[in-house]
Amino acid sequence: MNRRKSAVTAAAIAAVMLSACASGSETSGGASDTLTLNGDRADFVEAYKAAGEELEELTGYGIDPRNVPSTESYQQVIRSSLQSDSATDLVKWWSGYRLKELARTGGLANLDAEWEAAVENDWVNPDTAPSFSYDGHVYAMPMYKSYWVIFYNKKIYEDLGLSVPTTWEQFIGNAQTIKDAGITPFFGTQEAGWTAFIWFGEILSKLNPEFYADLMNGDAKYTDEPARRAMEIWSDLYERGFFTSPDVAWDDEPALFQSGEVAMVPMGTWRNAIFTDNGMTEQDYGAFVMPTIKPDVTPSVIVESGVFAVPEKAPNKEAAVETLGEWLNPDVQEVWVDEINDISANPQVEIENPILTSVTEQVQQSEPIELERYWEASPPSLVAGNVKDLATFMVDPSKENIGPTLQRMQERAEQEWAKWEQE
Amino acid sequence: MGAGVTEPAPSTAVRTRAPGAEATPPRPRAHGPRARRDALTARAGIAMYILPALALVGILLLVPFGYTVYQSLTEYDGISPAEFVGFDNYVTLLGAERFHRSLINTVIWTVGTLLLPVLLGLLIAVLTNASGWPVWVRYAFVLPYAISGTATGVIWGFMLRSDGAVNQVLGAFGLDSLQQEWLLSWPMNTIVMILAETWRAVGISIILFLVGLQTVPRETVEAGMLDGASGFRLFRRIVFPQLRAVTVVVVGISIANSLRVFDVIWLLTQGGPGWLSETLAVTMYRQTFVLSEYGLGSAVAVVLAVIVVSVSWIYLRQQMPKRG
Repeated sequence: MNRRKSAVTAAAIAAVMLSACASGSETSGGASDTLTLNGDRADFVEAYKAAGEELEELTGYGIDPRNVPSTESYQQVIRSSLQSDSATDLVKWWSGYRLKELARTGGLANLDAEWEAAVENDWVNPDTAPSFSYDGHVYAMPMYKSYWVIFYNKKIYEDLGLSVPTTWEQFIGNAQTIKDAGITPFFGTQEAGWTAFIWFGEILSKLNPEFYADLMNGDAKYTDEPARRAMEIWSDLYERGFFTSPDVAWDDEPALFQSGEVAMVPMGTWRNAIFTDNGMTEQDYGAFVMPTIKPDVTPSVIVESGVFAVPEKAPNKEAAVETLGEWLNPDVQEVWVDEINDISANPQVEIENPILTSVTEQVQQSEPIELERYWEASPPSLVAGNVKDLATFMVDPSKENIGPTLQRMQERAEQEWAKWEQE
Repeated sequence: MGAGVTEPAPSTAVRTRAPGAEATPPRPRAHGPRARRDALTARAGIAMYILPALALVGILLLVPFGYTVYQSLTEYDGISPAEFVGFDNYVTLLGAERFHRSLINTVIWTVGTLLLPVLLGLLIAVLTNASGWPVWVRYAFVLPYAISGTATGVIWGFMLRSDGAVNQVLGAFGLDSLQQEWLLSWPMNTIVMILAETWRAVGISIILFLVGLQTVPRETVEAGMLDGASGFRLFRRIVFPQLRAVTVVVVGISIANSLRVFDVIWLLTQGGPGWLSETLAVTMYRQTFVLSEYGLGSAVAVVLAVIVVSVSWIYLRQQMPKRG
């Protein structure tokens, strides 16, 4: 009898465990007057809540943010949840081809009407639509608009009597002076993986922005002359000892910049938040758009936008779509950009941070063409693979390594573009 | 048989038979519906005990493995429907230079983390067990085992990066010529990561060898000493043979750990620069979770699982004492 009891108990425990497994994890839920939002940036959570309060006044729906700390895990969570009914109402994602990859599966809600309304209100630059579209339809709203700039340490510039460069020669001259003073001019690392594309993208876009756009769209080859020339310039800068070691920790970058061990840091304006959080002020640092390599090159600036999208199977899809219709409302954006210390995608929204203000002023003056960041500008698997090749090049930036590196990148480009077109 | 032949010695079976066993005839087997019911009930009871374990192993191990094998035969990006492609993923892997590099690195890791933690563990265990070394020396080697692989990665990253502690110390002592880009060139990066993992993993070897050493009967050692053995000879001839069972376990653990090492590599180099320091476990993670090529990642997982299981099985089969 005891044996039978034990067996029944064991079976009951097993059943409970199995049912617990079967219930899985839920990412959706929440009260119907609150929209759930999933993201991978813990530092945005407070900003989501602040913007959510403003949105609630406009739409009646607040925001309940969740966060997945690892970007890799987050991408898997979103990919799998889009196919089920466990998606959150809103998801943070990336623009360009990363968005297209999701949109073409039919997993995202169409936001054409909301985009049109935002354009009519002058809340967004209509020219940026391709970054948030697939097959002519809009599927996401921009979270912010980060310009890629060179942050520079003002104290080093002042100590060495340098001025903000407006030509490539001045830019390189400044770097040489800084190097001669025993300070590392440029931050560059492959330690975080993705950071390997930064200098390649910056140099190529300032050498030949039209080619950059063509290369990103698969209309040009990595083995073409402009790409080779960009790599040669990068190799020259390495030869002159301008960069940090390629394995320096990405997380150390703000401290190295603040302490004056590194004078210049190429990064999106989203990095501004951490500099200000660390106590740096406009007396300590500034930012400029990297000069073109030759005067006759069209001015350009690399732009990056995180996005919000609505899963097609979101529990509160209609409310989420309506909320994104108000996302670019200046009332919401002022609170939002004030929290994240970056630039709004709504050109009407004024920024208080002096560093960001100086960037927008430079952009307004030079009217550069806006290029998509390398990370979002081509199919994700192509970018992820080529970033690895660029990382390898950073470790061996010799002239001899340029050809093989570009050859491998081109071979991958051909494979991945073929796969992309096929799918 | 001649008349002078003495009576054969009773067989072992006869000698060990319980007294009075022959007096008790075997109980005749019960027949009939009731007996069958009893037998069935007994079997059901046994099954109920085994079922939870079977269910756990099945659900948590076998079903996912079966699904992984199926997924390795598909092309799947995590969003679009999976497409059956047969053995294409395996063909792709076999032809990929990166996969070969990953395999080579896995072999280096296996050899390195097999030799170093086992030999060092044995050495430290013997030295701290027999000689008058203070206890804290043992703790100093054992404690890192309590640290997670992630923390190990962070600590060694701080030490091994080009601007890290190791190069700074070398510089401070005027040994600039010895400064290296430890994590950037192959095979240097793999070797230093093996050393980092050894630092962490040697603790369990020490503990197991210490347990083994303390079970070695003192009489055998004393007998050996009386016969004139001492020092290394005493250890090799008398002590080490008695550590065989522990050595089998330590080597087995080291093989399995080395084949699936991931955290230290991911934190120190992410398998880079490029793909230079990837092992199969890192390749599997990157293909699946970074590149979203689930089919290819699953194929790597299957290859890795087959290698781990076969190596462990062959090793244990050879080393474990045979029954009967």
